[in-house]
Amino acid sequence: MQADKKLLKDLTPEIESTSTTWYITFSVFLGFFLLGIYGLIQQIDKGHIVTGMRDNVVWGFYIVNFIFFMGLSYSGALISGVLHLFHTGWRKPVIRLAELITVISLIIGPFFIFFCIGRLDRLYFLFIHPRIQSPITWDVIAILTDLFGCFIYLYLSFVEDFAILRDYDGLHVPPWKRKFYKILSLGYDGSPRQKKLLSNARTIMSVMIIAIAIIVYSVLAWIFGVTLQPGWHSTIFGPYFVIAAVFSGTGLLIILMWIFRRIYHLEEYITKRHFVNVGVLLTVIAAFYGYFTFSDYLTKWYGSIKMDSILIDKLFNEYYLLFIFANYIGILLPAIIIAFPKFRTIPNITVAAAIAVLALWVNRYIIVIPTLETPFLPVQDTRADWIKYSPTWIEWSLTLAGVSVFVMLFMLISKIAPIVSISEMQQQDSEEILK
Amino acid sequence: MKNGSSIFCTLLSFLLLVSYPTFSQEETKISPYIQLQYFKNTDESRFLKTTLTYSLNRMEIPVPGMEISFFSEAAGKELIGTVFTDDKGVASLELTKNIRPPINEEGLWEFSTEFKGNDTIQAGNSELSIKDVKLEMSLQEVDSIKTITLKAVTMGNSSEIPVSEEVVMIYVPRMFSLLPVGEATLDESGTASLEFPSDLPGDSEGNLTIISRFEEHPDFGNIEKKIEIKWGVPSVNQAPVAHRALWTKTAPMWMIITLSVLLAGVWGHYLFAIISLILIKRDSKKQAKLKS
Repeated sequence: MQADKKLLKDLTPEIESTSTTWYITFSVFLGFFLLGIYGLIQQIDKGHIVTGMRDNVVWGFYIVNFIFFMGLSYSGALISGVLHLFHTGWRKPVIRLAELITVISLIIGPFFIFFCIGRLDRLYFLFIHPRIQSPITWDVIAILTDLFGCFIYLYLSFVEDFAILRDYDGLHVPPWKRKFYKILSLGYDGSPRQKKLLSNARTIMSVMIIAIAIIVYSVLAWIFGVTLQPGWHSTIFGPYFVIAAVFSGTGLLIILMWIFRRIYHLEEYITKRHFVNVGVLLTVIAAFYGYFTFSDYLTKWYGSIKMDSILIDKLFNEYYLLFIFANYIGILLPAIIIAFPKFRTIPNITVAAAIAVLALWVNRYIIVIPTLETPFLPVQDTRADWIKYSPTWIEWSLTLAGVSVFVMLFMLISKIAPIVSISEMQQQDSEEILK
Repeated sequence: MKNGSSIFCTLLSFLLLVSYPTFSQEETKISPYIQLQYFKNTDESRFLKTTLTYSLNRMEIPVPGMEISFFSEAAGKELIGTVFTDDKGVASLELTKNIRPPINEEGLWEFSTEFKGNDTIQAGNSELSIKDVKLEMSLQEVDSIKTITLKAVTMGNSSEIPVSEEVVMIYVPRMFSLLPVGEATLDESGTASLEFPSDLPGDSEGNLTIISRFEEHPDFGNIEKKIEIKWGVPSVNQAPVAHRALWTKTAPMWMIITLSVLLAGVWGHYLFAIISLILIKRDSKKQAKLKS
């Protein structure tokens, strides 16, 4: 299968050779990862007492990270699915990044659940004694289904690229890599029948992963929403979580676009137009996200249910800084930066995206922690350090390890397949033909 | 220009971040709540119990590891023991036979407890006057009526003095707490009797524990008598009626159908995608054969 030579020349160097900078960067993140492993060993050895979680606050950083990574994953699926389904012209250079965000986040996210579970040896009980009524069972089924679907979707998008790389004589890679491309390309040669089969499968899977992403993240939201806890018991938590996830995922997509554009010199492919388009998407979602946030807190505040009032009071006092950052700065600042054409430069859009991603993580924190610090009834034998959650270095190290694995997997995958899809780039959309 | 707007955005972010008004507040010592109680158990053992707590966010937080001193005050302040508070903020001192606290002119023991305080918690103390009371409980079945008879006396100089016009509470322990089953007012002779309900479930053999108590009495403290007897209705654990609900073993039908349809729909499409990949592989093999 042949492809445009310029495309191959521009997009394959990162697969052929690895720079010293790459190795150094990878080593740094590997170091963070190993620190996390050390922390995990400490936790396994001494138990959860080494974390900041106690009887009152039984969910800490791990659950926050779990929700955050799962959100990134679902947003990646939504973005790539929508872009593919509607044949958005400018999608081509960025769709691979969105697909990779989906799968990599989905691999990392569930590990944080494992870190949070006190009796991991009983994990298999979920499978041998499942209760369909439990939202936890829904979540296990949903995540496994989503993981499987996202792998298929990602693989479908890779088949053509693997075939192109297999047949590219000018590609200087070790024999194992060629064999790898040969096996995974399934002998694809771009015949009309194969193209039709692949195209149909991709279209169907793009529809599926959009639907699954919405359902699965809603299920995760319902784990909170179906409880009667203050701050969690909300009917809009499902759509609120989905919008929030897309917000963070769009932000991360912009950050990754900026990083890979800079590192792999993709200025010709990932242009300002892409940043502005994804940035505008971020602004629109910010508006929706802001609306949901306001709506959620307004109804709770106006309802004046005692525990909700205590929680909101806590958010505006103890958590003032985090609340303002997550729900005001994190929404308004990215929207302002991108809404005004004057500020729409690539670095500014990236800064806006970074603020959005960080704000979303903080938003997850202030959803999980303050509620647990506001129980309906005081737990028996409550002690001061059980009421107030404070993460320990072990939780920080495992969080850092999760981020490091995310980066490392991106770096490793970029050494196997182009970060900008060659097959997507050489497809001519009808819109472009018309142009 | 580009750099200018970048700097503007970064500065704006920073300014918004640091705009949080910070207030300095002088560190004040925690004001603790200290409570001294007297307990007398079924086996006649007697305890002084001090609870040291403070209030935070509507919750009562125990203060563990603090030294609490116990004193007898009837004949001048005399230290009778020191105990450290446990994880629940409780320091408990048993008044063994060796400890013979004096009584005052009114025939009362006078106890006090003291916490000296430290760098973070203020000092505190509490006092208590107690009259030694002997509570007796007997259980009899008179004409098929289960009857509890109570007698309470205080120890005078040489004889027993009946405790009259005082209320004794009767409880039966249940799974989570004590079930009040009655209260009896002592007559002039210091006795009272009341009928015990005959329909209370006991364990599988009908065993029940009956507790009679003076509770938080200003003069007597907490005095308890406990007897186990076969006065309950034997319990037979019956399995709940099998129906479909959130809390039963079998899920509601609509839930099973919804989940099954969703999963079948999703995994059916996955199957379609996998079959497409298999067909691509087969097609490529066919093409290769044709070429060769």
